[in-house]
Amino acid sequence: MADALISFHDAALGYDGVSVLEGLTLDIHRGDFLALVGANGCGKSTILKSIAGILEPLRGRIRRGTGERPVRFGYVPQRETIEMVFPLTVFEVALMGTYGRVKPGWPITHADRELVRACLADVGLDDLQRKPFPALSGGQRQRVLIARALAAEPDILLLDEPLSGIDLGAAQTIMELIARLHRDHGLTTVMVSHHLKALREREVVREVVWVHEGKLLRGPAATMLAPDMVFRMMDAEIG
Amino acid sequence: MLEILNPNFLLRNALYGGLIIGIVAPLVGVYLLARRMVFLGVALPQVSTAGIAAAFIWHAFFHGHPDRDINDFAIALVGSSLLTFGVIVMLALLERRKRGILEGRVAMLYAVAGAATILLVASDRITEIGILGLLKGEIIAIPDIELLILFLGYGAILILLTVFHKELVLVTVDRDMAISLGKRVVVWDLLLFGVIGVTISLGVLVVGPLVMFGFLIVPPMIAGRLVVGMRSVSIVAALVGTGIALVGFDLAYRLDWPTGPTDVALAGVILAVVTTGQALKSLASRVVA
Repeated sequence: MADALISFHDAALGYDGVSVLEGLTLDIHRGDFLALVGANGCGKSTILKSIAGILEPLRGRIRRGTGERPVRFGYVPQRETIEMVFPLTVFEVALMGTYGRVKPGWPITHADRELVRACLADVGLDDLQRKPFPALSGGQRQRVLIARALAAEPDILLLDEPLSGIDLGAAQTIMELIARLHRDHGLTTVMVSHHLKALREREVVREVVWVHEGKLLRGPAATMLAPDMVFRMMDAEIG
Repeated sequence: MLEILNPNFLLRNALYGGLIIGIVAPLVGVYLLARRMVFLGVALPQVSTAGIAAAFIWHAFFHGHPDRDINDFAIALVGSSLLTFGVIVMLALLERRKRGILEGRVAMLYAVAGAATILLVASDRITEIGILGLLKGEIIAIPDIELLILFLGYGAILILLTVFHKELVLVTVDRDMAISLGKRVVVWDLLLFGVIGVTISLGVLVVGPLVMFGFLIVPPMIAGRLVVGMRSVSIVAALVGTGIALVGFDLAYRLDWPTGPTDVALAGVILAVVTTGQALKSLASRVVA
């Protein structure tokens, strides 16, 4: 469709010239909340990175935006990918979100700093701004990364396994936060997760895409996360 | 201390050179630490030294100058900068393609560069040129022109690090996010590698590999134990580097020790004291709790 924010046209995705997924066609529209689910290693994160422009398609085409201006991404990577040797503060990590909007060599403005403070307050961490990022719990770090993504003032929020490796209580808090951001800001959201229960419990997840044997199977969340569907997909994976 | 700060002090250029390196090298070292490239901080000065030794040998054999002069300095600087920059880019490319183990490559590089330096230094001509003192870290005689080049080169690096702080931090900490924000990461990576390459090449040429490694890595490690945040760590690391350069020079002058090893030993002592102090503090707080 012409007005899609992101469009995959017969795209082949992979690494070092070797494709993992072939012939993908996928449209994401403004206001969508899409969950990408599937077995480990099926290519969910690969699709998310391709949406963000981190990976370009090996073949086919991915169109990002409608041509007026480039799409702004709020990318939340898997938490363990930015385990820091260096103790950056929570504020410094969140501030990185603004770097995409500020020209090289130009200073960060007072307004940008205020925005970052507001984003940290939005995720409930405004009192931890000066703390070292590595000293936070898994759930807190995830919220900082979400605040960083929000500071980019994104058109689309991309979350890669935001619930992995954190306890149940923190996972619920994060899922509530993501749902609230989508509801309050109308933020287009694409989320990779294998926590099917958490997705099922949130009505905000409108559509689910199963990544299965190199193909995409898309449908309403209620249908795609129904027990018989999940059983069918998992059964096929286990063989 | 007052004597070495006197503008007419005979070895003032050596002090000024140490201070310039003490301020700027830790700022570059912060990026090496943040990017988990500490081993490179050891290997690259060695690579740079091999480049310098090769350049001096080349010049001595083919141009026949018995003494070091400004042409030697320029040739050595260009040669070692190109070699250092080339090695960083090659390692970064191999790392991105996930070929082999980075630590293994860096270790091999260190060994080969060290061996090449020793073989080159074994030449009769190299002793005439006088870079043995450089390899030992004896920062005594820095000619005015070399000091000026160091000042201008490190000044440019300081400006680049300040102006492009946010871009360099972003590609260092989270490359994927940088791409998603539309940053040209290859350009910023190359700028960072260029800064690292020139810093090391220029520094090694003036103070030798040992001192260069000491100033690159140890002050940021000390600062990282004292403060939190990239900007705070950078500022404290530069202050620590300056302090080490000043106090180390004073100690070396009083005790008639070689300046470079004195600086590095002093940095090591400070790091040990800070680490021990933190361990004791942590132990005390656990006992109280």
